[in-house]
Amino acid sequence: MAEMEVKSGGGHKKGPGVKKGKKLSTRVDLTPMVDLGFLLITFFIFTTTLAEPTSMNLAMPKDTKDPNQENKVKESGSLTLMLGKGNVIYYYYGNDPTKMQTTGYKDVRKLIIDKKKNTPAEDLFIIIKPDKDATYKNAVDVLDEMTINDIGRYAMVDPTPDEYKLIQQTEQAGGVK
Amino acid sequence: MARAKIKRGSTHVDMTAMCDVAFLLLSFFILTGQFKPSEAVEISPPNSVSNKHAPQKDAFTVSIDKDSRVFLGLTDDIKGDIWDELVKEKNLKVTAQDKQDFLGTDFIGVPFSQLLQFIKIPADQKKNVKMPGIPVDSTNNELQAWIGAASTAGEGKKLNFLIKGDNNAKYPVFGSVIDAFKKNDIFKYNLITNAEDAPPGTALYEENLKAQHKDD
Repeated sequence: MAEMEVKSGGGHKKGPGVKKGKKLSTRVDLTPMVDLGFLLITFFIFTTTLAEPTSMNLAMPKDTKDPNQENKVKESGSLTLMLGKGNVIYYYYGNDPTKMQTTGYKDVRKLIIDKKKNTPAEDLFIIIKPDKDATYKNAVDVLDEMTINDIGRYAMVDPTPDEYKLIQQTEQAGGVK
Repeated sequence: MARAKIKRGSTHVDMTAMCDVAFLLLSFFILTGQFKPSEAVEISPPNSVSNKHAPQKDAFTVSIDKDSRVFLGLTDDIKGDIWDELVKEKNLKVTAQDKQDFLGTDFIGVPFSQLLQFIKIPADQKKNVKMPGIPVDSTNNELQAWIGAASTAGEGKKLNFLIKGDNNAKYPVFGSVIDAFKKNDIFKYNLITNAEDAPPGTALYEENLKAQHKDD
């Protein structure tokens, strides 16, 4: 059993020549072993449950060549987010890319919330256009913003050549590498 | 009268039983816990607020690493069927041994031309092989053939198409992967991400709060 050897007093009480053959206890203190056991248990519990990855659903529309089947987006309700190089977002309202403005991933949420507030729910449409230099993380981050802000209608498409040119010009002017 | 002697109880507790329990639990957790499946390359997925668990069964996983190479991972329950289907579609001349080799391969990151060669490499050496990735260009989209074989082989089953991209993977590769899925008329996929809490003050945060109150 878990017991400790306690020495009683100092050694000076013993008389000269008195020798006592002391039997050593065979009992081992198991407390540290129990501690270790539970530590390992906690470790295994935490690592096994946390390692399970989560997943986010993504549904893409079917490509259609027929213009009649394409979704019509109201100009007043649309917000286009173009994801550029170096974690920069270029955005514009309606369908005039030349009025493009710049923002970052931290501020884009406010932008989306403001747009959502000022637009009737059935008109709101967000178009996400990741360009060639955007990373996968950028795309997932923006899709995540749609979930966070409860945006029901959004689409992910490639930027048009004009828009791409515009992004590149802005990037060159701003010296983004 | 002699006073009754009150015996002082020892404060020491027998730890043996507790130790037994601790190690019993420990062995239970070690044995039931699933080991992380070996991965072709290290991929660190981005965070998202999604809290759904990624499906582990019938999973067809397309991984994109930071150098924008594309890899394919199949779970054991669909691997054999996909191989048979692929052999049929591509008219490959293969032996039973090739199929065994394929079943022992955890991840595929080579074009079809190198596939037979690649699966013959012993499992412990496959990690050291530098894989070029599966071609996904618009001219030579081999991933499309893989997906085609998988969806034919997995008919009747619900296949889970997973996309696991690295933070630094470039978007165009992701676009090509999506295109390969689209060409096979598959429009629903799961993106593997790390869990993250919804930021306070947003619509999703409020919704989660409401859901929590309902539970209470």
